[in-house]
Amino acid sequence: MVKCVILAAGEGKRIHPLTYTRPKVMLPVANKPIIEYNLLNAINAGLKEFVFVVAYKSEMVRNYFGNGEKYKVKIEYINQGEPKGTAHAIGVVERFVDDFIVLCGDTIFGENDIKNILNTKNSIGLYKLDNPKEYGIVETKNDKIVKIYEKMDKPFTNIINAGIYHFDKKVFDFIKKTDRSPRGEYEITDTINMMTEKSIVSSVILKEWRDVVYPWHLLDANEEVLKKLDEKIEGTIEKNATIKGKVIVGKNTIVMNGSYIEGPVVIGENCKIGPNCYIRPYTSIGDSWHIGNACEIKNSIVFDNSNIPHQNYVGDSIIGSGCNFGAGTKVANLRLDKNNIIVTLNGKIIDSKRRKLGVIMGDNVQTGINSMINIGSFIGNNVSIGPGAIVKGVIEPDSKVM
Amino acid sequence: MCGIIGYNGFRDADIVILNGLKKLEYRGYDSAGIAIIDKKQQVYKEIGEIKNLEEKLPKIKGTIGIGHTRWATTGGVTKNNAHPHLSTSGKIAIVHNGIIENYVKLRENLEKKGFKFVSQTDSEIIANLIEDNYKGNLKDAVFSAIKKLEGYYAIVVTCEDEPDKIIGARLQSPLVIGVGDNENFLASDIPAFLKYTNRVIYLNEAEICVLTKKDVKVYNKDEKVVDKKENVIDWNIQDAEKSGFPHFMLKEIYDQPDTVNQVLRGRISEIHRNINFNENVENLLNSNISSIQIVACGTSYYAGLIGKYIIEKFTDTPVFVEFASEYRYFGLKHESSLVIAITQSGETLDTLAALREAKNSGCKTLVITNVVGSTATRISDAYILMQSGPEIGVAATKTFTSQIIVLLLIALKLGMIKNKISAVQLYEYIRYLREIPRTVRDVLNKNNEILDIAKQLKNAESVFFIGRGVNYPLSLEGALKLKEISYIHAEGFAAGELKHGPFALLTKSTPVVVIATKDATYDKILANIGEVKARGSQVIAIAEIDDTEIEKHADFVLRVPGGSGVLPSIPIIVVLQLLAYHVADLRKCSIDKPRNLAKSVTVE
Amino acid sequence: MKAVILAAGEGKRLRPFTETMPKVMLPIANKPIIEYVFDAIKKTGMDEIILVVGYKKEVIMDYFKEYKGIKITYIIQDKQLGTAHALLQAKDNLKESFIVLAGDNIIDDKGIQKLIQDKSEYSIIVKEHPYPSKYGVVFLENQNLKEIVEKPKEEIGKFISTGIYKFPMNVFKKLEQLNKQGIHDLSSVVESLLKDGILFSTNTADSWMDIVYPWDLIQVNEIMLQNIKGSTSGTIEKNVIIKGDVSIGKDTKIYSGSYIVGPVIIGEVCEIGPNACIFPSTSIGNNSVIHPFTEIQNSIIMNDVHIGSSSFIRNSVIARGSILRHNFTSSSDECTIEIEGEFKKVENIGSLIGEDCTIENHVVVDPGVIIGRKCNISSMKRIRKNIQSNSKVM
Repeated sequence: MVKCVILAAGEGKRIHPLTYTRPKVMLPVANKPIIEYNLLNAINAGLKEFVFVVAYKSEMVRNYFGNGEKYKVKIEYINQGEPKGTAHAIGVVERFVDDFIVLCGDTIFGENDIKNILNTKNSIGLYKLDNPKEYGIVETKNDKIVKIYEKMDKPFTNIINAGIYHFDKKVFDFIKKTDRSPRGEYEITDTINMMTEKSIVSSVILKEWRDVVYPWHLLDANEEVLKKLDEKIEGTIEKNATIKGKVIVGKNTIVMNGSYIEGPVVIGENCKIGPNCYIRPYTSIGDSWHIGNACEIKNSIVFDNSNIPHQNYVGDSIIGSGCNFGAGTKVANLRLDKNNIIVTLNGKIIDSKRRKLGVIMGDNVQTGINSMINIGSFIGNNVSIGPGAIVKGVIEPDSKVM
Repeated sequence: MCGIIGYNGFRDADIVILNGLKKLEYRGYDSAGIAIIDKKQQVYKEIGEIKNLEEKLPKIKGTIGIGHTRWATTGGVTKNNAHPHLSTSGKIAIVHNGIIENYVKLRENLEKKGFKFVSQTDSEIIANLIEDNYKGNLKDAVFSAIKKLEGYYAIVVTCEDEPDKIIGARLQSPLVIGVGDNENFLASDIPAFLKYTNRVIYLNEAEICVLTKKDVKVYNKDEKVVDKKENVIDWNIQDAEKSGFPHFMLKEIYDQPDTVNQVLRGRISEIHRNINFNENVENLLNSNISSIQIVACGTSYYAGLIGKYIIEKFTDTPVFVEFASEYRYFGLKHESSLVIAITQSGETLDTLAALREAKNSGCKTLVITNVVGSTATRISDAYILMQSGPEIGVAATKTFTSQIIVLLLIALKLGMIKNKISAVQLYEYIRYLREIPRTVRDVLNKNNEILDIAKQLKNAESVFFIGRGVNYPLSLEGALKLKEISYIHAEGFAAGELKHGPFALLTKSTPVVVIATKDATYDKILANIGEVKARGSQVIAIAEIDDTEIEKHADFVLRVPGGSGVLPSIPIIVVLQLLAYHVADLRKCSIDKPRNLAKSVTVE
Repeated sequence: MKAVILAAGEGKRLRPFTETMPKVMLPIANKPIIEYVFDAIKKTGMDEIILVVGYKKEVIMDYFKEYKGIKITYIIQDKQLGTAHALLQAKDNLKESFIVLAGDNIIDDKGIQKLIQDKSEYSIIVKEHPYPSKYGVVFLENQNLKEIVEKPKEEIGKFISTGIYKFPMNVFKKLEQLNKQGIHDLSSVVESLLKDGILFSTNTADSWMDIVYPWDLIQVNEIMLQNIKGSTSGTIEKNVIIKGDVSIGKDTKIYSGSYIVGPVIIGEVCEIGPNACIFPSTSIGNNSVIHPFTEIQNSIIMNDVHIGSSSFIRNSVIARGSILRHNFTSSSDECTIEIEGEFKKVENIGSLIGEDCTIENHVVVDPGVIIGRKCNISSMKRIRKNIQSNSKVM
């Protein structure tokens, strides 16, 4: 029986503040953690036994998936111990697997691609990307892997290493021989480069692939996933509420009079939507939300248990759990000169390549009435924003802007 | 006091156990050993630090085992007395932390039955007692055995006939379960396994647990399964290093300007003129408090004595300072009193017991500690963290100054609540607090002067430390520091008490360290110096920087920046620490690990 | 490849600031100078740093255990005889070609990268400099190093040696040989190697900054602050104006009416204002308090500093732990400053105040005045001349 190992140990530092309180793989896209798409796709591809390699906030992964009963599969967990790189992460499962697939839990892989990998022993998944500068690129010859290179400024090919592999026991011998890379980690790419010298490693070209490096990539992933979803209304839709396009409404959720929802949109359970609010396409709303009168939300992901209750506008944003917007708090999402939005992350300037980007907001943020949040802002966990305050740029956790 | 660990999982047990023991080394370090089941029990022990064991240990296969780092209580430091101990058949291995009070009797009985003993420890009988009760089920055997034990213990047991499980049991000694995936851990303290899992289960008194690779079962003393909650630990352990200093103690003394800033961090505001604690602490301090009892052991007790002076000064509330070991049995516990327990580790057994007693009697309880998530923080109403970072040297230095600053903050806060301090006064005190790092640096720059004085003391057989008022507990602390690391007999006295007895001990070869600050009793202390000089003893005075009178009286003078009125002079403490350090260093003593002492004492 | 960083020196010309910490630990934009060197090394992908320390070594060793995943191995040079002697101490920790650089020069990673990729065994980084006569001026022949002339009196060339080299292990033979002859500085070793006919290839650095005098701190601080990114922590009260890139640390409080124009970095646990003005190119360390109505511009304020109300500070350095009571004024102008017997003309410099000074109310300090460590100055004084450490001005 081929097992499926999902790497889910990473913290995802580039997605702070959202990952201060959850591991990267548990970030929600269309109301499901990223890793769940991989699990479901792998199950559909025929895999039944899973090993999750966890570490950072491992309890959240475990509490969500349990032993796999609700998916009718078996899930085991292994703690990586220390974050020492991908080769090390795979190395810790040695005693639990024989023939196995490994995939990075923070990248969404397609069902058919997983199936193809499953059918090709000793293989790695590759993906053709228009701009591969940020990724490790792969040299191949007759569908066989020659070498994997670190990311390059001027890559000679557009084929990248996608982060999905099919290995057997032999890989562990190579992992034990893998040296630390200049980054100080044990990298599986170094292991594979050793393997290609001694044996044949095949390639499988993937059709679907969506990775999440920066927070706004969640919005792209969200859009992609929402496009594929089917309509399903389990909650109550009041008279005079308008539902257009594909909309999912969860149990015990009530959409009140005068609300106007344009799909694709997903709304979780126990939410109170409206009256008189406007929810626009590509919005995912988690469980237990209140979106009140005269509020507009578009192209955003909002996690669980938060409130956007009165006269708010939220666009192209990600809002963490337990946030509460004061009446009139609005989020700007477009520069007046309509140029790309530049953000600062960990002291580096990064072009988000988006013309529209609102706020990336952590958990338990409170905003006062009529406060305003400027484009491309990052607001840490537990930040308080006073009434009428204007917020922009990076606000570190636990800060108060009065 | 010892550190114990057990591992049952899929990783190489030798690596997991050695890593864990290193994190437990603060609990004892005179010998160490491990026992791993690789078909048979494989036992290796060495005298000395864990490093020693690590160097001599061959590679052992096996993914289940136990380990121990020892601080000898019963039986000397020998390889035989080191844990783990095997039963006579060699099948059962145990590690133990605690004291078995009835071991002599149990040992006689077992010897009569033909069991063999190779060590002088009380612990070895546990292995044989379990074997005596073994009828094919290790859990039942452990239950039967512990019923016969008197005293207290944390034990971890493995048996080669049941190589799929480890069993732990505890009574009054610490033992926590680390719940992993396909692996489980048992250890005296969480850092031992934190690398691998952050989910822990705390065992209650007299509970037993059985750990297989896959699951954890906890039984109460009636052998019924109890449902236990997993707690998720949200902290990191940073590794301490000496950073170029010859000893941890010296590094920690030099850390003090930083740790003072850390303990003040977010708690004082110069512009707002306010002192802030977290909500629990503020609520506690705002409640109706008729009296305060400070309970602590060792150095923390002296910090408590200083706390008494300052809290009484600022609040008019009576403060009583008690040894935790006494208070737990004999202390008066009144519902309207606030009990402040001071414990660096948060695990000091006597202090925990006193805390529990106080709580059971309805007292309000507040803990001052350095360790987040320690037992003390869990059983008290509120706690204040010292934020000093790990302290490795056995002699408390930076945590002592942090304790005093916390007490000072409490005193100032209570003074504000009770309207005994005005905003103007408070501002002055906050300025003083802000300047402490600077005054401490000032003393650290006098290192060489202090070294010269230390040369005067290094051959003394006995040293007295005297002071009045808040300087009296400082004298006690100065004496404690000196004796615990340099092994010179030292005593601290209230200066006025000398003539009521201690003078009888004073000879020409007893140097006297006098703390003479310019307070209301300055003239009296000068008179005391006169009395001492009259007996031919050398006087080393610690005095304020602008004191021009003192050199007429003392043989040597060490100067420190002046304190602000009643506030204790943190710089004086730093002088005393450096003095003790240099004397010990000149005498080539083992400064970071003094003989017979361990960092935190979790036995009675 | 490993990098050997020389950080054992005291930096006498930077006294009083170096009285309690080595030069490489002086803060530029709230980071020790040497951290900029580490950053450059980290970017090149080198995986180990051999750090030669000596003077006040504990301060460095306590601060850096490792650097963002790069291993740091400490080598202790007991006597600071010279740079060649310092390098010699690292011999046993090296097995192959290595880079050697000074811990107190701020360098970009691209220059080092060129050095690493350079195929020749011996290599050096040079830099065009507006004031070459302060340094070793280099002469090239076919892109190879021909000669270094130390501190020439006349302007004879524009390129100088940055003191950053790539050496093979063979260099240690020469180092040992010259060490026996009592030659301890690296540039003499290089001269001797040149005489032996060894070829040094040359690479140029994009940016390279040397910190020699106290006012260099202010200048380099200004340059490095240009890379600061805005980020807000702590508590910002209402009606605080923050313009440009201002980085505010954790638990810091900025009180109402304060006006901050970036680039400015403010550390952790500070209290600023109400109504304080912080203007561009100012770094304020941790635990510092700036009282109401005070204006600070283009200055370095280190940790634990207290600045009283209505003070004015410009183009100045205030070291750790100093207390400036209210109405302190640092006047700033062009002036000539004496450092270690040399007279240096400096454009627009304020006051340079050492660690743990106490300056009472209404004190005015003349341009370019250096006040030593632990000085006490009583109120209403005008300070016109440099003051030695541990002095009192009554």
